[in-house]
Amino acid sequence: MIKTYASRIWKYTKSLQLTIILLSLLMCLVLFCTLAQVEMGTQGAVNAYMRSFIVWNQPLLMSLPFPGGALVGLLLTINLTGRTLELQRTWSKAGMWLVHSGMVILFAGEFVAGMMQVDTNMSIEVGQTVNYVQSYKSAELAVIDITDPSWDEVYSVPDSLLAKGRPIAIPGTPLTLNVKRFFPNAELTSLLPGAPPSMATAGVGRGVSIAERPLVSADNDMNQTSVFFEPTAGGRSYGTWLTSLAIDTPQSFTHEGRTYLLSMRLRRQYLPFAFTLKQFRHDVYPGTDIPKNFSSLVQVVNPSRNESREVLIYMNQPLRYEGKTFYQASFGKNDTLSILSVVENPGWLLPYVSCVLVSLGLLVHFAIVLRRSLKRRQEQKEG
Amino acid sequence: MTFVKKYLAWGAGVLALLVALLVALPGSKPRGFDASGFGNLPILEGGRVKPLDSLARNSLLVIHSRQGFRHEGRMVGPDEWMLDVLFRPQVADQQPIFVIDDPEVISLIGAKQTKNRNYFSFADLSTHLEEVQKQATSAQPIPAPKRTRFQSAIVNLFDRVYLYYKLRNTLQLAGSPGLAWELQSLGNPEAGMRHKDLTQLAHFRMLPPTTAANPDAWQSVGQALTAASSGGGLHPGLVPLAKLNAAYATGDAVSFNQALAEMNGVVTTLKPDALGQAGRELVFNRAQPFFVGLSIYFVAFLVLCVSWLYKPELLRPTAYALLLSGAIVHTIGLAARIILQGRPPVTNLYSSAVFVGWGAVILGLIVERMYRKGFGTAVAAAAGFASLIVAQNLGTDGDTMEMMRAVLDSNFWLATHVTTITIGYSGTFLAGAIAIAYALKKHLVAKVDVETDKALVDMAYGIICFALFFSFVGTVLGGIWADQSWGRFWGWDPKENGALLIVLWNAIILHARMAGYVRERGTMVMAIFGNIITALSWFGVNMLGVGLHSYGFMDKAFVALSAFCASQFLLMIICWAPARFWEQKPPTRA
Repeated sequence: MIKTYASRIWKYTKSLQLTIILLSLLMCLVLFCTLAQVEMGTQGAVNAYMRSFIVWNQPLLMSLPFPGGALVGLLLTINLTGRTLELQRTWSKAGMWLVHSGMVILFAGEFVAGMMQVDTNMSIEVGQTVNYVQSYKSAELAVIDITDPSWDEVYSVPDSLLAKGRPIAIPGTPLTLNVKRFFPNAELTSLLPGAPPSMATAGVGRGVSIAERPLVSADNDMNQTSVFFEPTAGGRSYGTWLTSLAIDTPQSFTHEGRTYLLSMRLRRQYLPFAFTLKQFRHDVYPGTDIPKNFSSLVQVVNPSRNESREVLIYMNQPLRYEGKTFYQASFGKNDTLSILSVVENPGWLLPYVSCVLVSLGLLVHFAIVLRRSLKRRQEQKEG
Repeated sequence: MTFVKKYLAWGAGVLALLVALLVALPGSKPRGFDASGFGNLPILEGGRVKPLDSLARNSLLVIHSRQGFRHEGRMVGPDEWMLDVLFRPQVADQQPIFVIDDPEVISLIGAKQTKNRNYFSFADLSTHLEEVQKQATSAQPIPAPKRTRFQSAIVNLFDRVYLYYKLRNTLQLAGSPGLAWELQSLGNPEAGMRHKDLTQLAHFRMLPPTTAANPDAWQSVGQALTAASSGGGLHPGLVPLAKLNAAYATGDAVSFNQALAEMNGVVTTLKPDALGQAGRELVFNRAQPFFVGLSIYFVAFLVLCVSWLYKPELLRPTAYALLLSGAIVHTIGLAARIILQGRPPVTNLYSSAVFVGWGAVILGLIVERMYRKGFGTAVAAAAGFASLIVAQNLGTDGDTMEMMRAVLDSNFWLATHVTTITIGYSGTFLAGAIAIAYALKKHLVAKVDVETDKALVDMAYGIICFALFFSFVGTVLGGIWADQSWGRFWGWDPKENGALLIVLWNAIILHARMAGYVRERGTMVMAIFGNIITALSWFGVNMLGVGLHSYGFMDKAFVALSAFCASQFLLMIICWAPARFWEQKPPTRA
């Protein structure tokens, strides 16, 4: 009984009917995801429709549930694998074999990208040396021991940990941070006279009025992540501080002769190598503002590999280095600031493999079909 | 087919080519002035060197929606119009060239809507310029998709007026005695202000670079005057330009043509290849291969339609021959663009329409060679005609050979990804067109013709396979380009999604047919739906205005696109209509 059910399910799982249903569902999802981008931004729409198992609570679909891209993709992969195994192992099906295995690899590539791809960026001003990449949206609270003028000791607390609201002991220091209130997104304004006092008792936060704002996901919008917290050390409180992505002013306090700088900033990942921007070029077509090319000449210094060399990163010509790829993405500050987008995707090669397999497979298959059809026509003529 | 008929058919094709050649020949000289020779002078505008004729045509197209107009009983061509704007602005100001359709804008400039199209001269508008500018300035900060109809119209009018205003102040300040006077009064104290105005308002640069060290440093008249008055020496082009100006303003055609020869001499000395390059583009402009091509396709289509009713053995080959000549003209035009621009065929939306049409026509020719039923010719001619019409409408925004923005500046990817995906569009459209032919034939022709139906389905099926291959490869190549330049293979960007939809739809058709869910009619209905998907991913995504691929928003096109989709749905219903609507009753056997 169970066996027949299982075999029935398996039979359906690899049926053409399911293929068509899944492809149609995927078409709908792609369409929804495209339309939703107008309101939600690309990343928001992709997360809601493509990277989820179930789409629900979306105004576009009137809050009705819909299978998400991850679910459809997974089922399609299983269906595809089932069908591929089902194919006759003959030369006449060689093309189909190639196509379907290529598709499985393509899907795997998108899964790897969805799960493991990390997008960050690196902004460098001309002459500056940078040894970290930073996140586009996630923030961290950095506590930096600046006592030694030649060396900064950086301790950072990711926003996800701050959001939990529990006291955070910072290893390697006597400090503990008591989170008083965390704002994923907020709007900061100067405190007007007569308004209720700020929660902060130390630093610039005392003169700031804060209001919580809903999270934004559109491509050009930033969440102004903010937090009120109280650093304590050796049983002593150093007051309640406010740090926010909207606050640039340095704030610090001193405990037992060590000075700690507090700042909320975009989450950083330090690299075992550093880039120095030697030159940034922004070429335009003569007599116009139409950009012709952007390029950054960087000096890559990697002590662990005993390496120091110049690299030119420009349009369509990224640098692949230590598992990360650096692309010329943007610029600013009167062409003295170059922004490189940095992508780390262990599966970046999969689409290339897939492309070759599927193209080859389609060619082989259509050639076989064409030959068969020509032969038949010939026979018809003769017969 | 008899010998005579064969020659008659091919004769029609050759005749069409002769007509095309005739169009490319130079026209007459208006009032004795060598306007076309003046249009041949190279200028720097929009980042590239082009003949003044190209600018004249594109500006007139932007301002007037056409490349010529009728004024005081005769046709004024783009070169003559440009001469008037540059050298006789008082005459050009009176020519009613500004087309305004929006009734609110018309009432704003104190006029009444009299006809369907309303033309105004610069002189008509001049008293309301301040109001137009005020309204436009307040509308400009609003992003284009969010503007009201009035706001879009007023910004559009302002842009056109400003273009005209800049043109008439590029070589001389309008209202001043002219360039010769400007050269005489170089040292005057107030001249500096005028030079500054001329520099700021210059829409193009006409004076070739004087040093080989800086080959892109073309100068505008304002820049050259500024340089001359600060002791930098007189640019050798200024004097012949001043002579051209004076001769044209006084109506002296002989001196004008002499001064033109002098100017050509200066250009040849300073920039030896510029004149030849401009000349080639001028011939291309004059020949208008895509307009001629679409006219030939139209005739071919008509001839084929007639062939179904009358003398098929003569007219069907004639239509085929005409289609072939249309394809030759189309191909020459496409090749000319590639050579002139030094780029692969598809660089923007306009050229994609030209290329989609070309691909569909070539495919149609092949299909016709294989099946010889006239349907290949019919759908190819219709598809070629329709896509070139679309191209003509897309080409009204200005220069269609504009420079490529940095991220797109890669001939390798333009040649591979963009070309392949566009061929995929061609294929999907052609399959859709065949399906439409199938549906119409089923309803219009009373006779049951199983063999032809089968042939049509085979054609559509084969082309869908072809389209699936090209759209898939094109999409994946696009992903690889994105991986090379933006850092991700797939970003679910609207344009990428659009391409994916085409791939998915073609895959669904093939699988549904393989599994037996659809047969003849079902395949054809699905093929027509492919038209909608392709049109949406081709144009629709540009209307969303999001993502890295959104290089241009088109508002008028939205109506056209909706109408197209609606028509395709209608055709799907016609195709889907139950058998009793379209099958002849089986003959009763007595």
